[in-house]
Amino acid sequence: MTAIVEGNGLTKRFGTGDATVVAVDAVDVAIQESELVMIMGDSGCGKTTLISLLGCILTPDAGQIRIEGEAIDPAAQDMSVIRREKIGFVFQLFHLLPYLTALENVMIAMDLARTKTDAAENRAMELLTQVGLSERFHHRPAQLSGGEKQRVSFARALANRPKVIFADEPTANLDSRQSDNLMSLIQELRQEHQTTVAIVTHHEGLKKNADRIIQMKDGRIFGE
Amino acid sequence: MKTLFLKDMRYRQARVVLTALGITVLISLILLLGGIMNGMRIQARQYVESTGADLWISAEGSGGAFIGFSLVIEEYMAFLNAGQGLVPDSASPLVFAQARPNVRGKSTKAIVVGYKLGKLGGPKRAIEGRMFTPSNFEDYRPEDPVPYEVVVDEKMGLEIGEQITLGDEKVRVVGKTESLMFVLDTPLLFMDVRIAQKLLLGNTPHVNMMVAKVNENFPVPEVATQYDEFETIETRTLKQTVGNIIEYYVDEPMKAVQFLRVMLWLAAGILVGMITYVTMLEKTQEIGVLKAIGAANRYVMALLLKQVALMSAVGVILGLILSYIFATAAPIFVAIHFLESVIVVCISFVVCCGSGYLAARKVIAVDPMIAFRGEI
Repeated sequence: MTAIVEGNGLTKRFGTGDATVVAVDAVDVAIQESELVMIMGDSGCGKTTLISLLGCILTPDAGQIRIEGEAIDPAAQDMSVIRREKIGFVFQLFHLLPYLTALENVMIAMDLARTKTDAAENRAMELLTQVGLSERFHHRPAQLSGGEKQRVSFARALANRPKVIFADEPTANLDSRQSDNLMSLIQELRQEHQTTVAIVTHHEGLKKNADRIIQMKDGRIFGE
Repeated sequence: MKTLFLKDMRYRQARVVLTALGITVLISLILLLGGIMNGMRIQARQYVESTGADLWISAEGSGGAFIGFSLVIEEYMAFLNAGQGLVPDSASPLVFAQARPNVRGKSTKAIVVGYKLGKLGGPKRAIEGRMFTPSNFEDYRPEDPVPYEVVVDEKMGLEIGEQITLGDEKVRVVGKTESLMFVLDTPLLFMDVRIAQKLLLGNTPHVNMMVAKVNENFPVPEVATQYDEFETIETRTLKQTVGNIIEYYVDEPMKAVQFLRVMLWLAAGILVGMITYVTMLEKTQEIGVLKAIGAANRYVMALLLKQVALMSAVGVILGLILSYIFATAAPIFVAIHFLESVIVVCISFVVCCGSGYLAARKVIAVDPMIAFRGEI
């Protein structure tokens, strides 16, 4: 298998002086094409920081990231192009834009990639239908349940046909029934869109869905 | 999504409206305060310029007409009229004294102007009613049956035939003049110089000052200097007199207001800047999300600047409109200069957009993850 995303010697520190915290400490990691990998560990072990680095929404202090074999240089490259063309992100707190409807929240990702409005609207409707929200196109986030918001978030992440989707604790704010439904949906979407998925979770019950599990502790990977 | 910035603003309409209103109020305050000062300056020169006099003669040591206490004996008129450089017989006596007439049972501020009808010092005709009955100045006796009559500014709201009380005497309104107020909307009451002397100066043969017109073949400053050399009088040109009034009645007493105005400018600049700066910083999380899903920095910057520009434009334009409305409704004369308002509006708009730009630049400079966590 080919590594779709690869990190070598990734290090990220927060704070300064005595208050410095090494969130990710010289981590080497590779996520293979089409796999569903779960990154697990206790709170504060650095798993969110790690996928933020791999997902190019956080710049490492040291180390190298490669996406599809190509080295990423945040100082020299327009990271927005990489984020909209190669990566989809799903956040623990959904982070939908509150003033847009579900349909518009999905369309905005395509709008940023300069997809024509008609095409973007059709794809957004198609994706929302796939995630079971055909009746919720014109609802704002405030009018949706937690599970529905997370499904809109997945539809948005899939909108630009990314190579890899990073999901940070996608089930943290969902009950067990919603969590199971979401995991089933992720499996379906993954099969259908041939997308690699990396999920950060501390939910032991989700382990069964993973192709591979990466265990983290104190900013380091200690087992797979 | 071209209307993304509008959708966001509509969603946060309460905050947008409050921000724009904050800008509106500050702009209005700045313009109104400036307008009050301008209004005082206009009124300071309004009466003096309306007289048509070139020279203002007051008692030595008074600091010029309208400034210090001045009593001049009437005999100087003959001396002035005989002098060189003046239009023959143009020198005229003037009583200019603050008074508290009782109008409709209420003590009111006013300035009594006593002058010789048809001479320099007051209006030649009334816009409504008639001018007061003149006395025979040269042969006047206090027992002469000259009626106590006054011509008032139309803004006083008095009717022809109505009576006001000056001291212990009843004075009848016989005519009205147009827009002749002194500083801070102090109305002018025009009456015969002899009646003014009787009511306000205890019948003494003095006046507060004299006015004269310079022959057009003579330069006014030189004639003024020539008369100023006499030891018992001070002579000022119209320009000097206007300058003195503005300094004495407007600039000196309004120093604190001027200081306040400068402070208000600074405070307004900082507040307006802070409002837009904080408004932008509050959007940090959304900006982080937009960047995380692939928005380029220039896209985010354009989005934020469109919002701040629209909000600022609405705020400053409303502020401009409101200040003109308030100026019309204000209890004192407020004159907002158009050029000044344009400058205030432009500077405020630039400050708003500049602050918004600085905040936006700060927000977009960080990684999306840091931004949407609000850790800036």
